[in-house]
Amino acid sequence: MSVPFDSPSPLVRCTGALDIASVWRASELSGESLHTLDTGYPALNRELPGGGWPQGAMVEVLQPQAGQHEWGLLAPVLASLQAGGTPARGARAWLALVGAPSSPFGPALRARHISMQRLLCIAPQPEPGIAPALLWATREALQCADVAAVLAWLPEARSAHLRRLQIAAQTHNKLLFVFRPLRAQHESSPAPLRLLLQGHIGASASGGGANVQVHVLKRRGPLLATPVSLDTRLERLSALLAASREGVRQRRQSLGVPALPVAAPALFAAAFSNPLRTNAHALDRTASAHA
Amino acid sequence: MRWIALQARTLEGDAMLGPSEVPSMAVHHIASLALAFTPRVAVVDEAVVMDVTASLRLFGGLHRLLQLLLARLALFFESNQCLVQVNHACGATSLIAIGKLREPASQRAGELPMHTLSAARPHLGVLERTGCRTWDDLLALPRDGVARRFGAGLLAALDCARGAVPDRYDWLVLPEQFEEKHELDALVTHGPALMAGVEQLLVGLQAWLLGRQRGLCALNIIWHLDKRRDVPPTGSLVVRTDQPAQDLRHIKALIAEHLAQQKLAAPVHSLTLQSLVTEPLVDAAAATAPLLIEDRQHGGSALELVERLSARLGPDKVCVWQPSADHRPEAMQQWLPAKNGLNGIDAIKSIASQAVNTWASGIKIIKNKPFSPASPKNALKNALQGARTDALYPSWLLPQPMALRSVGNSPVYQGRLQRLAGPQRMESCGWWMASDAAPHLPGQPPQRARPPAIRDYFIYRSEQGALLWIYSERLAADDAAACASLQRAWFLHGFFA
Repeated sequence: MSVPFDSPSPLVRCTGALDIASVWRASELSGESLHTLDTGYPALNRELPGGGWPQGAMVEVLQPQAGQHEWGLLAPVLASLQAGGTPARGARAWLALVGAPSSPFGPALRARHISMQRLLCIAPQPEPGIAPALLWATREALQCADVAAVLAWLPEARSAHLRRLQIAAQTHNKLLFVFRPLRAQHESSPAPLRLLLQGHIGASASGGGANVQVHVLKRRGPLLATPVSLDTRLERLSALLAASREGVRQRRQSLGVPALPVAAPALFAAAFSNPLRTNAHALDRTASAHA
Repeated sequence: MRWIALQARTLEGDAMLGPSEVPSMAVHHIASLALAFTPRVAVVDEAVVMDVTASLRLFGGLHRLLQLLLARLALFFESNQCLVQVNHACGATSLIAIGKLREPASQRAGELPMHTLSAARPHLGVLERTGCRTWDDLLALPRDGVARRFGAGLLAALDCARGAVPDRYDWLVLPEQFEEKHELDALVTHGPALMAGVEQLLVGLQAWLLGRQRGLCALNIIWHLDKRRDVPPTGSLVVRTDQPAQDLRHIKALIAEHLAQQKLAAPVHSLTLQSLVTEPLVDAAAATAPLLIEDRQHGGSALELVERLSARLGPDKVCVWQPSADHRPEAMQQWLPAKNGLNGIDAIKSIASQAVNTWASGIKIIKNKPFSPASPKNALKNALQGARTDALYPSWLLPQPMALRSVGNSPVYQGRLQRLAGPQRMESCGWWMASDAAPHLPGQPPQRARPPAIRDYFIYRSEQGALLWIYSERLAADDAAACASLQRAWFLHGFFA
């Protein structure tokens, strides 16, 4: 079958005429039937079926190393879940972290508007032998009515185990993110959405550029060749980095050392083109002076 | 006067159950549940009779009460996998109710056949031959003649049935504390295998709870070990839950978790279940809601989850966050066992919400009166300042700082690192270190007494694009000159994720 997706095949014409909502064509993103939640990143929303994180389905996130970039990617949706539509629902929206690689740092997560009072940390920094207990705990957390989202780090989980989690997420209509190492990339997975999360050093990395690349490995839709680049840092942090980089540049200039090879001009532009970032805060100025 | 008679019948087609045994337990359970509606409950022959005259108004009429009772009974037996059907009948007196239960076809009390009156059963043959087939026929006979021929008992029963004489029964009373012993069918050597026996006892416990309108907080399971072994005669297990419960599924799961870890010293021949702590469910809605048990079908609460997880993984593996006022990053927060911490968190939450409320009212005051005292404004400013500095902390903190190798005078972590920002100096030396070295909190391990140190925090970027929070530790100012020639020690303390 070498029919290009664009050409109107008989089937496409047929479904177009009948307009069946439940028929999903492989050339399009599915999504009418999905209940999704806004990711907080428009660029990512565009590439996900239904325009957001699927509720009631497992999202598998592959990472070269656990404990990097997760909060930036997920904080917007978790914060909006906890803020909740109605106060009663929001007050019951717990987050469960199963097998977190290190301990979440409260002040930083509060800055991302995550309510630490409703965060349950289950078996943090797990020993290797505890894998079955982690799977069990994840399933238990999914079954709990008060838990809105479950983040699970399951490096040793296998496809059959994940299938049970996917079913649990589906029956209880929960948001489930499973983080796995890169080596799981070639295993089959029951997750309808698989992402590969990688750090990214762009040309203007410490300025406003993207710091994370999201490769969509699997979705209900056509393959995505180019990764989605996101800037998941908090604005304050980006501003601090930009300011300190600018300080270094100025000092080098005053000492007569040639400017940094590649990044500096772009960085300068990035730091000062955005008025929000250049209205630096007191802390930034001291930091840049020190640097 | 309103009476309800209830009778348990095994469902058709379950040949596995003994015909006599299951209903006897079921009658007991029905009586317990009936006690939630009226204190006047008695077991008469095969039936449970209850006088609901005084309860009608509370439950909104006979129809509503009956509906509630039957729904609760059906749910109770269904949730405990008992194949029991409950028949019911109402009447103006207990004997009429029983009579109608035995002969559901008859409409009027007078038309009830003679055999439905227990007192008439010895004389059925004679009554039949004298043409007395219904209660009406017997009433039509002269009283002294009936008394002479059949004895005073039949006449008394007849008066009772007519309502001329009040009923006298031994009313059932549920004990203050539940305690029941169960002989196991066979000796049990493994902890998890005790669960079957416990489940049978829990059915009785649940009936008791429903009857007394109480919720269970703690129970004690005692297993009696084989006396021939040289071990203590009993072992016990106390299971507690924070939320008083009538639905015992959560308790059952907790018991199963605890029993799974239990090692039995000798074979067990019987079990005893005791209720230790119960609390009255004072909420009228909770006491009368028909779907008490169904209400939680969608899954347990966070509290139940915490208890279940703590039971299997251990309490210290399920943690909740607690902030503490300290400027050292590793001391800014604590992870407490959630089992104990949840109540504290609720308290914090209420305090926090109060604070927010007062804060909000303070802001309102500011808006209304521009020259009000500036303290709420300052609080607002401080809070915003706090939020700003919070944004510069990493979102993952390593529980123990990781020592990094250094090349030249810069740290190395999975390749070369590039310094992006810093230093941010943090001093952890001072007068408070003395109190730090001593065990200041009872029940917690004393913190390691570290030499006073100054840390410079930097933000580095690894080759993979991750931002790292790294500090270099220096000794206190006196030694600084001495150590200037030495290399700095680098530690990884967190990730900006």
